[in-house]
Amino acid sequence: MPPKEPPGRRVPGPARPARPRPASAGARTPGARPSRPAPRPAAKRRPAARQPRTIRLGSPRPRLRLISLGLTLVMLVFVVRLLQVQAVDAGAYAAKADKYRFQEYTLSAERGEITDRNGIALAASVDAYDITADPKLFTREESKTADAPEQAAALLAPILGKEPAELAKKLRTPKSRYTLLARKQTPQVWNQIKDLKRVYGQKAQAVGGNGINLLGGILSEPSTKRVYPNGELAAGILGYVNAEGRGAGGLESMLDPELAGRDGKIRFTASGGRQVPTAGSQGTPAVPGSDIELTIDRDIQWAAQQAISDQVRRSKADRGYVIVQDTRTGEVLAMANAPGFDPNDLSAANAAAMGNAALQDAYEPGSTSKIMSMAAVLEEGKAAPDTHVTVPNRLHRGDRLFKDDVDHKTWYLTLNGVLARSSNIGTILATGRLGATQAESNRILHSYLRKFGIGSPTGLHYPGETPGILAKPQDWSTSQQYTIPFGQGLSVSAMQAASVYSTIANGGVRIEPTLVRGTKGPDGRFTAAPAPKESRVVSEKTAKSLAQMLESVVDDEDGTGNKAAIPGYRVAGKTGTANRVDPELGRYKGYTASFAGFAPADQPRVTVYCAIQNPTKGNYFGGQICGPIYKKVMEFALKTLHVAPTGSAPARLPVDFEPTP
Amino acid sequence: MSTAKGPLKGRAAQLGRLMPSGPSSAARTPFVLLVVVLLGGGLITLLLLNSALNQGSFKLNELKDKTTELTDEEQALQRDVDDYAAPDALERRARKLGMVPGGSPAFLGPDGRVLGEPSVAVAPKPTPKPSAGTGAPGTPSATRTDASTALRTFGGPADTGTGPTGAFPADGSPAGPGPDAQDRRAGTGPVPAPPVTVPAPTQTGR
Repeated sequence: MPPKEPPGRRVPGPARPARPRPASAGARTPGARPSRPAPRPAAKRRPAARQPRTIRLGSPRPRLRLISLGLTLVMLVFVVRLLQVQAVDAGAYAAKADKYRFQEYTLSAERGEITDRNGIALAASVDAYDITADPKLFTREESKTADAPEQAAALLAPILGKEPAELAKKLRTPKSRYTLLARKQTPQVWNQIKDLKRVYGQKAQAVGGNGINLLGGILSEPSTKRVYPNGELAAGILGYVNAEGRGAGGLESMLDPELAGRDGKIRFTASGGRQVPTAGSQGTPAVPGSDIELTIDRDIQWAAQQAISDQVRRSKADRGYVIVQDTRTGEVLAMANAPGFDPNDLSAANAAAMGNAALQDAYEPGSTSKIMSMAAVLEEGKAAPDTHVTVPNRLHRGDRLFKDDVDHKTWYLTLNGVLARSSNIGTILATGRLGATQAESNRILHSYLRKFGIGSPTGLHYPGETPGILAKPQDWSTSQQYTIPFGQGLSVSAMQAASVYSTIANGGVRIEPTLVRGTKGPDGRFTAAPAPKESRVVSEKTAKSLAQMLESVVDDEDGTGNKAAIPGYRVAGKTGTANRVDPELGRYKGYTASFAGFAPADQPRVTVYCAIQNPTKGNYFGGQICGPIYKKVMEFALKTLHVAPTGSAPARLPVDFEPTP
Repeated sequence: MSTAKGPLKGRAAQLGRLMPSGPSSAARTPFVLLVVVLLGGGLITLLLLNSALNQGSFKLNELKDKTTELTDEEQALQRDVDDYAAPDALERRARKLGMVPGGSPAFLGPDGRVLGEPSVAVAPKPTPKPSAGTGAPGTPSATRTDASTALRTFGGPADTGTGPTGAFPADGSPAGPGPDAQDRRAGTGPVPAPPVTVPAPTQTGR
């Protein structure tokens, strides 16, 4: 063994040059450090003497193998793990890291405005704050006051306009760290609260304060609020938004894709919640929603709404509608419903009044629909405005005995007179001439009703819009085939009824009504709405005759629509007083009063349609309660649109004739 | 090595021999200076850069706050304007001034011809006249010189200044300021229209 020892020893390289010197100290050094390799000369000198002091090591080879094996295993584990982290699961880990490194926020897109035809905002979005609170900070332990919620509530109640008790109750919510005190408050409200908070903060820090801010637990969350600056004005058309700010009714819901815009995103490297300035950020900017321009004229809308609300209240009616339409373009200038609602405060709104009844209610129009029967008769050439019609007191048709709304002796009327006096019997007699048989008459009348737009949606694509009810002619019941000519047994919406009169005013060409003029995209460019569809319903000559006949309704002394006369103007109109189907009872009860017409009769510009459902107090005749509304709204519209009287003489078609004995 | 021979002993001497020796020691000072300057300069630049960035972010925050504040203010003011301009509010204020809704429209042509039938607007409840007829009746008519549409609506309380301007004053725009403003926009300017004197037709209307 000893001879093998020297090669097994590790020989320190750098120590070698120092050999000559430590020769003197050699005796001490090897003794002091037995593990250290002794200088060779010394080992040679006294091999026998050192032998017992040397630690004899085992064979190094197995040890080395074992260690290298262990190291290899450890390295292998490391390599495997490295591969796993860097190659196999790399994506997942990178994503995890990014989550801490990057922060992502949604940039909410600004909702577009809805404006009237002159650009006056009818609906806009503004900044707002939800006022929230942390109830934990109002507990006795945290606030060191017994009645912190009450104190805070008393301070906040006048600012938020709520009951102190209600706020205190919310602030007392047990075991909660969040409560919503008030939604969508203006920034001014939040500023007031902030000021109060500051004052109380200073007070708490001042001498004598307990160091706890009474209002410290009041917080806010930024949000946006949809405001309708004109309140109830046009609320039925505009609709409303839900709590998330998405359209939930009316145009807000119908045009939501355009109005909403597209939310954007921003992603930046963050450290401690703050953006690292040099690291840059990326994301997509929010695209604000488009502004929608309506065809509505705010002022006319106001006048219409004012007039109908007044009358509905005075007549204690269920509801009423007024529609004002430009006869030349089909644009709806006003569409008013009563009762309405305030979209700014939906909690106070009556759910039944929240729709747009002018488009969503289907009802039997009554005599205003006679104009379509007359149009059919004239267009088919079966009669002329001066055709004589002898109207008996009663007429037996089918299973029923028909009468007019006033009991009269036999009338000797012209066709014009039938319309002016709104004779049901006369209308039945006239439409009976449409075809050789009653079935054929029905078919012809039906085709005209369809062409006037009855029984099909108006083309507005308004949510919840009713197409009305018009049965196929072969399905008309025995009585229906005689009632439909004078407007019972079929249902229309107010918009459809108005459109009928606009069609006649426009020389017999029906233009689909429109509510939207165009949209202004985020780039500020205005895109006009597509042109509405046009279709000819009756010839221009027929339309002209009809307009003259409608004039007799208003200007003849026996006409039913005298109350609608506007001095100086030639006014065309038609009254209607229909038996109303009570939606709850499902049978006829009450009346629908209506009036429809246009002016000036010879060069029509504006159509106004008014209907009142179930007037229960005072008069219920269309000419009496809707006539004045028509007059008021029409006057206002003529003034607003600067429509001067044409100055021509009225047609004054004959109403009756002398019976030949 | 030779200089260090004296004090160095044992292992220290061995280590001392490892140190580079000779002429290299002469160039050490500038090098150290260079490194110090580089490090120091780097540190100071970083500091400046950071404070510049921070200053920028302070400014950014400040401006953002200002923007929010101004937006809030703008929206609050817009709300006030909307409240004042709302038709309902206009009507209320117009009535307070003694105006009443006008009757049926009548128009005055450039040739003095009257279209329509002017009438006196009937107040639902007579209110004391706030002022006697001032120049107001004349002035608005003077602005109406547009040929085809130079027509005037009538019908206000008889002799107040509100009469001719406010055919339907509740709203203001349709008969009153609206058309006037439009004419002015058309560039006609307030040229006195010779044939038009508004009070005359109003008188006949009565």
